Amino acid sequence: MSINQVLPFISTAVMLWFTVDVLQRYIVRRNPAFLFWGIGLAMFGAGSFAEAYLSLSWNKWMFFVWYLFGAALNAAWLGHGTLYLLARKKWRHVVTVFLVAGSLFALYLMLQAMPKLDEAVFTTNKPVSEQYGTKALEAGATVPADAQTIITTYRGKEVTAVRGLLPLGTPVRLTTPFFNIYGLFTLVGGAIYSAYLFWRKRVMPNRVIANVLIAAGALAIGSASTLTRLGYGQFLYLGELISAIMMFIGFRMAAKPQPDEVIVSNSIPASAD
Amino acid sequence: MAVQTKTNRKSHIPEKSLLFEKIVPIALIVMGVITLALMIFAAGVLLGIIHF
Repeated sequence: MSINQVLPFISTAVMLWFTVDVLQRYIVRRNPAFLFWGIGLAMFGAGSFAEAYLSLSWNKWMFFVWYLFGAALNAAWLGHGTLYLLARKKWRHVVTVFLVAGSLFALYLMLQAMPKLDEAVFTTNKPVSEQYGTKALEAGATVPADAQTIITTYRGKEVTAVRGLLPLGTPVRLTTPFFNIYGLFTLVGGAIYSAYLFWRKRVMPNRVIANVLIAAGALAIGSASTLTRLGYGQFLYLGELISAIMMFIGFRMAAKPQPDEVIVSNSIPASAD
Repeated sequence: MAVQTKTNRKSHIPEKSLLFEKIVPIALIVMGVITLALMIFAAGVLLGIIHF
């Protein structure tokens, strides 16, 4: 096994530990933020495991798990946990309805796409994130050396496309940017905003660092995924592991009780007698 | 005269700390810029301006 095949299994183990830790906190405190984080982390872990599996062998249901939970939904559910800490109650409920409805719709679209998968194109030689989508080539564009192409009709025109597992124009692919924009905005934006608030008030240094780590961890996986789609897939598994570790440390730091570093003593007369 | 002690349990950011005076604010700004860039990128994909 190569290092790139081992790393996703380590990420999965970290995410599993992280998920159990967060869901235990939900059981004790009943704070919905922990529930949404726990669900998002479970999705992240499932996606990471599916990716590890797909680096060794093909299974279409592993691809289903990888795309739906790993590529589409997990960031949005993680970010929704942060929204629960920062937004007003009325907004939280409205957005929760949209998130659940949108996730169910994405599930429906993914199930619709399953019989149309181009399984013959799959290889364990490169990450699944480099081969999941069929890409239409612009006129005059050069075909990548190891790519398999197909001539197909897309939006009424005949185009040459680099073959991928999901056919060109698969509707489920349109849902992914919505979830990822929402997840990025709430998870990273929320962590940056929280860190800024504590920093500006000059209190709780551990929460400042914790939120910086959570934001940096989420950005690590976001950036690694974007680089993969641009053809630099070698950073993906490392990015995933760094992301899992940073977010876990950040979460543990944020949840840790504050040390009594500053003690202000005020002498108060107990009574007049 | 009896004396009561009131404890403020909030920890404070240390004064003149390189981490909190320089590194944290720069990290927050850089991460904010990267987040914005990634969101614009994702929106570009959604709108069909960026193809991949």
